Amino acid sequence: MAKKVGIVGAGVTPFKGKWYEKTYYELAQMATREAVKDAGMPIQDIDAVFYGIYNDIFERTCIPEHPLQGIIGMQNKFGIRVSCGGATGAYTMSAAHAYLAGERFKTALVLGVEKATDCFDFSSMSATPEVIKTIGWSGDSFFEQKIGWSASDSYAEVVLGYMDEYPGTLKPEVTAQISSQLSKQVRNNPYAQRQLDQVTPEEVMNSRYIVYPFKELEICVYTEGAAALILAEEETAKAIAKNTGKPIVWMTGLGEANEHSFAGKNQKNMSHIVSDYLGSHRAYEMAGIKDPIKAIDIVELHDAFVHQFEISLAEFGLVPYESVDSLIEDGIMLPGGRLLVNPCGGLIYCGHAVGASNIMSAWSARNELIKRKLKRALVHGTGSTVAQYTACSILEHE
Amino acid sequence: MAEKKQKVIPDEYIPEVRSRVATIDNQDYLLQNDAMFTFYERSMGELSPFFLAIKDEKRILGCRCPKCGIVRVPPMVTHCPDCDFAATELLEVEQVGKMNTTPPITYFATSMFMDKAPFGRGRVILTGADTALSVMLYTTTGILVPGLIRKGTEVKVIFRDQRVGQISDIYCVPTNELTPAQITKKGLQETELNWEAPKEPEFPKPSNEDVTVYRQSLGEMQALAVEMSRSKRARKAIEGWKRDIAVKTKGGEFAMYIDDGDFKIEEKKLKSPDFIMACEDPRTLLDGLMYKGAITDSVIMKKLWISKNLEFNTIFKLDRLARFLAREKKEQAVE
Repeated sequence: MAKKVGIVGAGVTPFKGKWYEKTYYELAQMATREAVKDAGMPIQDIDAVFYGIYNDIFERTCIPEHPLQGIIGMQNKFGIRVSCGGATGAYTMSAAHAYLAGERFKTALVLGVEKATDCFDFSSMSATPEVIKTIGWSGDSFFEQKIGWSASDSYAEVVLGYMDEYPGTLKPEVTAQISSQLSKQVRNNPYAQRQLDQVTPEEVMNSRYIVYPFKELEICVYTEGAAALILAEEETAKAIAKNTGKPIVWMTGLGEANEHSFAGKNQKNMSHIVSDYLGSHRAYEMAGIKDPIKAIDIVELHDAFVHQFEISLAEFGLVPYESVDSLIEDGIMLPGGRLLVNPCGGLIYCGHAVGASNIMSAWSARNELIKRKLKRALVHGTGSTVAQYTACSILEHE
Repeated sequence: MAEKKQKVIPDEYIPEVRSRVATIDNQDYLLQNDAMFTFYERSMGELSPFFLAIKDEKRILGCRCPKCGIVRVPPMVTHCPDCDFAATELLEVEQVGKMNTTPPITYFATSMFMDKAPFGRGRVILTGADTALSVMLYTTTGILVPGLIRKGTEVKVIFRDQRVGQISDIYCVPTNELTPAQITKKGLQETELNWEAPKEPEFPKPSNEDVTVYRQSLGEMQALAVEMSRSKRARKAIEGWKRDIAVKTKGGEFAMYIDDGDFKIEEKKLKSPDFIMACEDPRTLLDGLMYKGAITDSVIMKKLWISKNLEFNTIFKLDRLARFLAREKKEQAVE
C-alpha cells in the first residue's frame, strides 16, 4: 500500500503580465522562500525538487532548471523537470506524489515557474504575437505549425466540435457571464494579474474576436510568476503540521490521460475532451469518490478558455453535457450555488504562468478548503494541442 | 495568395542589437534585444513520399493498414499501432472531402502568420480516408466569417503555384465556390480560382442628418483621442507604432494619426495614408473607441472596410487602446 501524501506548505509570487524587476531565477526562489516559510522548515530539510517549467524558449534556456538547483538551495539533491504543455504544473504534482507515495523521499518541493513575456515581436512592437508564436512551436512540426497552429485555434477546434455535437450549448451570453463571474472572484486574490479588472457580461460580449469562437475576455492571459508546494509523506506531514499548527491537505486521488493528437477514426474524438473525462474519473476512483457531484466542494480548473471551462466541468461529471449552460442558468457556479469554481479567478483573471499555473490552483484550493472549512477539491490541468493532456488531483482537508 | 520567396527568418522580424532601460519605482532595469535561433536541414524521412507527392505531382497520399483497413491521411505511420504494428501501404486519396468539425477562424495570429490572417484551420476527411488532415481554409469571397464553413461542408484541396514540399503548399476552399469542372479537376491551383479583389465601398450622397452625425461623432472621437494620449496605460497600446490612416464615412472624411503613444484625429484628407478605413456610419468607429463593441468585429462583420488585410494589426491596437483607457478609468474608480 502506497504512503499517504499531503500538502504542508505553499507559496506564490504575484502573477504579473511582465516582471521587469525579476528573472525566472528570482521568481523561482521567491516562491520557494514563501513555501518553506509556510511549512515552517528550512530548505535543507527538503529531500527532492520537482520543477514544472513548460517551455524552454520562454526561459531562453534549454534545461532551464539547472541554475535553479543551487539558487533555491537544493544542490546535491534529487531534481527532475516535468514539461507537459499547459498541464505541466498538474503533472509535476502527480510526479512528486508518486515518488513520496513510493517512499523514495519524505519531503518534496514542487516548484513551477514561467517567464513568458520576455518574448517580444519587433514588427508589431508588442509581446503577445511573439508569445503565441513561441507556444506555436508546440504544434505538430510536420503538419500543423506551418499552417498557423496555435493553442487558441487548437482548443477552438474542440470547442466547435462540442458545439456541433451539442447544438445550443456554450451560448455567448453564458460564456460572457462566466467570465464576468470569474472577474468578480479574482477581487479577493491579491496575487492576481487582473485583481482590479472586473468586467460586465456586456464588456465580454463586446470584446474582439481573437480566434472564433473565442473573444478576448474569454481567454486566459499570459503571465510571469512562480508557485511552490511542500509535500510530505504521512508521518513527516503530521510532524510538520504539529509544528506549524496548520491542517494537512491530503492528496487522495490522482488521474492523468493523454489523448491522440490527430483526429478521426480510432484517433481523437474532436467533440469531447476525453482526457478530462479519464483524468478526473481516475482521480475519483483512487480517492474512492462514487458521486463527484456530492463529493466535490471546490474545483480549481485550468480555464484556458471559458468554453473549455464549461466542457471540462461536464467531462468531470459535475454538470450534464447537453445542459452545461446550467452552470449559469441554474446558478450552479454563482454565489450560493452548489459548486465553487476557481475562487482565485482562474487563469483568465489570476493569470497563466504556464508551469506555475496549476500549482497556483492547488495553492488556492488548499487555502479555500482551510478557510471555508470544506472537505474536498478537484485541481485540474489541461494542455498540449486539442486539449490532449489532462492531470487531475483530489485534495482533501483532514 | 502566392507564397513569396523569402529567407527562413524574414529580415523584418530581426531586431537590431541594442538595449534599453525600463524604470519601475525609480529603479532601472536593463532590457536586451536577443534571440534564440537554430537552422535545420531537416529530413522528412518516412514522410518524404507525402510531401514529394504534394510538391511534384499535386497528389495527396495516405497509408492503409491491411489488417483493420483504416486509411490515415496524412500517412503518419509506417506500421499500424492498432494492429500489432502491421506494415501499412501508401495509396492516393481524393482531393475533395468533408469537414470533420466546424473550423475555428484566426483573426489575431502569431507574429509569423499576421500576413495570412484571417484564416480558418480545420480538419478535412478526404474521400477515401478515415482520419482528418489539418488544413488552412480560405474563401474566394473575401474575409472568412463564421458560418461559411461548418461541420460537413464539402471542401476542395487547392495547390499553391509555388510549392516547396511543405503542408502549407495546400489549403482548402468550399466546393460551392467552384465550378463543377474545378471540383473534379485534380491538382487545382490557386491561380485557376476566381478570387474576388478587395474593392473600396462607395457611399451614397450624404443627407443633412448624415453630416450632423459625422460632425458629432468626429467631435467625440477627437475628445477621446485627447484622453487616450494622456492615459499612461492607453499609450502602451500604441507604443512604438506609427500609422497615418484615412477614414472615409458617408458624412465626411478625416485622418487618424498613431505615433508612438500619441493618438490624434483631424479633419483632413490624407494624400498618401498607410491605409484606408471606410465605414458608412462613423458611429461604428466611435463605438469601438468608446469600448462599446470591437472594431475588429466591425471589420469581420463587414461594417468597416480596410484597404490592407495586414492592417488588422493596427485594428487590434485600436481595440486595445479603447480597452486600456476603459481599464484605467475603472482602476482609478476602484482606487
